[in-house]
Amino acid sequence: MSTNLALARPLRRPAPETTEAPRHLEVAASRAQRRARPKVVYALIVVAGIGVILFAQLLLSIALADGAYRISSLQTQQRDYTRQQESLQERLDVLGSTQNLTTRAEDLGMVKSGYPVFLDAGTGAVTGTSSDSGGSLVGASGNLVGNSLLKGDGVDDQAVQDAQEQNAAQTPTTEEDGGIATTTGGSDTGATTTGTTATGTTGGSSGGGTGANVPSAPGVIPSPTTH
Amino acid sequence: MSHSRSTRRRLAVSLLIVATLAVGCVVRLVDLQVVRADALTEAADKQQRLSVTTYGTRGDIVDADGTVLAGSVQRWNITASPKIALDKDQTFDRKAKDGTTTKVTAQEAVAEVADITGGSADTMYATLTKAVAANPNSDFAYLAKAVPLATLKKVQKLGIPWVYSEQDTSARNYPNGAIAGNLVGYVGTDQPLAGLELTQNSCLAGTNGEQSFERSPQGVRIPGSTVQTKAAVDGGTLKLTIDSDLQWYVQQVLAEQAAVYGAQWATASVVRVKDGHIMAAADWPSVDPNDVTATPASSRGSRFFSVPYEPGSIMKPATVASLLDAGVITKDQKVDVPSRYDKGFPKGAFIKDVFPHPEMHWTVAGVIENSSNIGISVLSENLSVVKRTAYLKKFGFGTKTAVGFQAESSGIMHNPIGIDPISDKAQQFGQAISVTAAQLAGMYQTLGNGGVQMPLTLVEGCTHADGTVTGAPDTTPKRVVSAAAAHDTLEMMETVATTSNISPIVSIPGYRIAAKTGTAQVATSSGTYGSDRVVSVAGITTVDNPEYAVVVTLGNPDKIKTSMAAAPAFAAIMKQVIKTYRVPPSTTPVPNIPLTW
Repeated sequence: MSTNLALARPLRRPAPETTEAPRHLEVAASRAQRRARPKVVYALIVVAGIGVILFAQLLLSIALADGAYRISSLQTQQRDYTRQQESLQERLDVLGSTQNLTTRAEDLGMVKSGYPVFLDAGTGAVTGTSSDSGGSLVGASGNLVGNSLLKGDGVDDQAVQDAQEQNAAQTPTTEEDGGIATTTGGSDTGATTTGTTATGTTGGSSGGGTGANVPSAPGVIPSPTTH
Repeated sequence: MSHSRSTRRRLAVSLLIVATLAVGCVVRLVDLQVVRADALTEAADKQQRLSVTTYGTRGDIVDADGTVLAGSVQRWNITASPKIALDKDQTFDRKAKDGTTTKVTAQEAVAEVADITGGSADTMYATLTKAVAANPNSDFAYLAKAVPLATLKKVQKLGIPWVYSEQDTSARNYPNGAIAGNLVGYVGTDQPLAGLELTQNSCLAGTNGEQSFERSPQGVRIPGSTVQTKAAVDGGTLKLTIDSDLQWYVQQVLAEQAAVYGAQWATASVVRVKDGHIMAAADWPSVDPNDVTATPASSRGSRFFSVPYEPGSIMKPATVASLLDAGVITKDQKVDVPSRYDKGFPKGAFIKDVFPHPEMHWTVAGVIENSSNIGISVLSENLSVVKRTAYLKKFGFGTKTAVGFQAESSGIMHNPIGIDPISDKAQQFGQAISVTAAQLAGMYQTLGNGGVQMPLTLVEGCTHADGTVTGAPDTTPKRVVSAAAAHDTLEMMETVATTSNISPIVSIPGYRIAAKTGTAQVATSSGTYGSDRVVSVAGITTVDNPEYAVVVTLGNPDKIKTSMAAAPAFAAIMKQVIKTYRVPPSTTPVPNIPLTW
């Protein structure tokens, strides 16, 4: 007996297709787990921080190197000034030698002093015999104690005049109560100006400073000014 | 659990990067250490560390007030590096202010330097070529020596990279010239040659240090690379007791008076009696240490310390003080002075005075005032020659003074045992005995200091760079004669200043001066006394308060052969001493001391 009943046959599984890799199953993280994950931001901050530190170090060493060069340049400057000072001191020592001072003083008209006379401050007694000052410390043949560093040297008259003119240009002329009018340039006020200065100061009015006394006669060293 | 592929990949990539870096380093290492080693070593050699000496400056010699008598000044030597100068094409680039670059050859550069220093360009170039020919690595040659600061600056401004400078160590400068020149001495190119520069060198010399620095191949010193391996130490400052202004005046007076009287030499001294400090010790002819060759070699030392001579009558006060101290004479003693003295002498020998006289009745003061050799001989009979010689030795004769100057002489004294009868007496009036001017200064210092000798002092001390002071003088006093003996001797000497023939010249109103003259005979080479004389005047101010002792000696004057020749110099110096040190005038009157009886 044939039947025309359809037979229900289980459907065969279809042949496996291309071998597919088993699907990667990820566990979806929960919110709590997601929060616990380390953030990228922090890493970026750390790296950036390191970068900043290194950059700061670079700037520091640049500044240090710059400072070192500045120090070196200043030290060189100091050394140069010291050398200049020593060179000028050398010249000053020679010009300050006794031979030069004596010759220049006598050129200015200074003379040998007399004997000292003593005043006893306690009793008011005066002892000693004064003698007239006058004459030269050196005889007719001049200074005989040699100094080969002084050859032809001494006060440079032109330099003195230049200094006087420069001084006059810088210092303003003032009139003091004592009526010591100071003039720059003008007529020959050399001797008289010195004279009035002397009376001014001995007159006791030692208050304010005297203005620049500039005798215009060249070769005459100006009288000292007080301030 | 196995690593996934992407993990493996990332791992592999990072390992690859690390490996590449490592290999790269190794390759570079091999390259530097092995392949290019020689080239790099050569380049490094050029950039070597250069070691230079730093110099300690020589110390100054200053006087009692700090005035510099000898100082070190800055001078530089211009040096060059021949191997860099003559390297390759012998040119370097010079950048001008407007930015243009010019090529400058070594020869042109050397010519520029020579222009500034005043040297010869050809000589300088020859120095460079010779140095390189002798040693291809020669790094050092002198172009100019001892140039001052202005010249150095100009040379540096040229900007020649292989030209350097080094400090010149032998630059010494004597700003006060011949003042105390014979005492200060002088230096040669390397070392001191005379005077205090020589004997006090351990105080004055500096110690060198060492420094190294790196240098680029062009020769430029790299800043910041200087390493100080040893610090240089400057020399100490030597302080003298000399007053330079008074020293100048004494030298000036000696020079004037020696010319007036035609003397061959002269010495003078001013000594402070209370401590034996020398205020001035002058020699004529004097030497200017800046210009040593201008003075003959015989005058470059200090005759004051090193040349003994027979002093003559100027020694009589020592004899009288000794006899007074020994108690064998009294200051009022009456003396019979015959016209000549020959007691115990061989037949025909006698001692006479400077002027002929019959038998005189002189007191001891009269013997001094008339400077009677016979009188001194008569008085000396009262004490044995051994004891008299011992007194002279106590005064310092026969030994060097405490100064210990270069080539200082101790003088010559007879041995009292076996001394011949003439020298026995002659040594008491300054013949038959040889002394230095320094010893005489010490004798007068003793008489002025109440019979107590202080060590003669020239150096106050040495102040080292770190502030420590060494070399302080010895201050041990030595009693030679009693204060009474010294004072009585001074009062007798006062009669010379008040009544003798030099008194118009040497007396100073208001001041009681004690003085003594001396006219000594000079022995000739044949052993007899010739016609030359050494004349001197010595004195102390003031008798009632002795402060300063002055001794002036003129050797072999032509115009006048008596002590009158030395009197004006003595008077001038004594007056200047009074002014300089503000010596107060005498407060007691001059006693009346009889000269005859």
